[in-house]
Amino acid sequence: MNGEQSTRIALALARAVAKSPNSGLCGVCVEILAVSGAGITIMGGGHAGPVCVSGGRMAVLEELQFTMGLGPCQDAYSSGRPVHAPTFDAPISARWPTFIDRARDSGIGAVFAYPMSTSGAKVGVLTLYQDDEGELSADQHNDSLVMATLLSETVLSLQDNAPPGELGNGLEAVVAYRAEIHQASGMVSIQLHIPVEEAQLRIRAHAFAIGAPVSVVAADIVARRLRLTDDRQQPGGGV
Amino acid sequence: MTPVPTELEQRAIDRQALTATTFVEIVDTLVDDFDVIDVLTQLTSRSVELLQAAASGILLADADGQLRVIGASTEEVGLLELFQIQNDEGPCLDCYRTGAIVFDASLDADSAWPRFADESVRSGFPSVCAVPLRLRSLVLGCLNLFMSEPIELSDAEISLAQALADVASIAIVQDQATRDAAIREGHLQLALTSRISIEQAKGMIAERSGVDMDEAFKRLRSHARSNNRLLTELAQSIVAGTTRVESLHDRRKPPPPQPTPLKLPN
Repeated sequence: MNGEQSTRIALALARAVAKSPNSGLCGVCVEILAVSGAGITIMGGGHAGPVCVSGGRMAVLEELQFTMGLGPCQDAYSSGRPVHAPTFDAPISARWPTFIDRARDSGIGAVFAYPMSTSGAKVGVLTLYQDDEGELSADQHNDSLVMATLLSETVLSLQDNAPPGELGNGLEAVVAYRAEIHQASGMVSIQLHIPVEEAQLRIRAHAFAIGAPVSVVAADIVARRLRLTDDRQQPGGGV
Repeated sequence: MTPVPTELEQRAIDRQALTATTFVEIVDTLVDDFDVIDVLTQLTSRSVELLQAAASGILLADADGQLRVIGASTEEVGLLELFQIQNDEGPCLDCYRTGAIVFDASLDADSAWPRFADESVRSGFPSVCAVPLRLRSLVLGCLNLFMSEPIELSDAEISLAQALADVASIAIVQDQATRDAAIREGHLQLALTSRISIEQAKGMIAERSGVDMDEAFKRLRSHARSNNRLLTELAQSIVAGTTRVESLHDRRKPPPPQPTPLKLPN
């Protein structure tokens, strides 16, 4: 990354925020990087929570990646490298068939995921969506790399002044968004006498099986409208 | 026909090749995880090979402004003493204070640093040079070169010494940035994990005692307070099963009737 380029992106970022303060960081990414949609996800501690998404379609796709635990976002985070799927025939997209199907259905033609990291610290992932197939231009790619670094610096700065163990202002929403999923995991772990990690997998598997977003399933469990059954006692039943 | 290079020319060519190799090697090290002490020690050995030096060391100023050896081309006791003296007087102290290159090719009793000059000559180093490790206007420390003959380093050699010192500064700054970022990332991860544990523990209490999430959180908090435990620590211990969720069950209230399970679509 060179200084001139970071400055240019930082200025564009500041201008975009000044122009429409409520568009959120994703709106700014869409504008500056000239893409159809964007999602910013913070990952870590067995958690993935979106900070923001630029629209409903992207919300569904980000949610789906969380439900499945699979997608360009997870690949970019674990490899620490950008993941490019400029067409859905690209070999890499074979890794996430369900995600690709859903993306196609919602009119998306290409996906690019950039790990958000700064000086080796991994914070999350910036995912870019394009309606049309095709590789990003060299400028878009370079700008996305800079943007991902600036975003990770922003996230870490939000956390800098928080007391240890507490989330910084503006980051609370990241967990709050998925609070019900963690609450539901706690409930299911008591109901089925299993560890919470396994309970969360069961909830995600159930959501996937019935084709519902994991947040809807979690809300049903918390409202006690739904109880997952123990498939060890009822073979073939439940999830 | 290509003329055969003279011995002097050949030495210059060899040195160029070694210089290039050194920089490639160091830059390579800086790309991935690296041990800063290892890199700095490697730099001192290379500076001896590349410049006509007999020994070299890198000194860094600590928080109190004391110069400390962080890497040296040799562990000779005499050399270490020469570094130590320089907290009182010597080329490194001057270099650190002024940020300028300090060079004395013939140390003797008239030197600006009589005690240092005496020790240095006695250890077999009549010529010394100190090059600053700079970060913009800040001086971090210096690269100290010792020559076994009373020789002057050429301008080209001094530039090369400065380039090596600059690489050392980059390694130090990069190492610090990586450490800082790792600490900041750790804070974020810890905060995320803590918050998640609290939500999970709320779910467990809510299910076990048949209460809603607000009531579950109140019970978690009051249990933490009355047992003098931290909220996050208690939550994590409930999630891990080390604190039984039953211990938060309020027995004064009967548990509400369990709802009949929904028939799930298969």
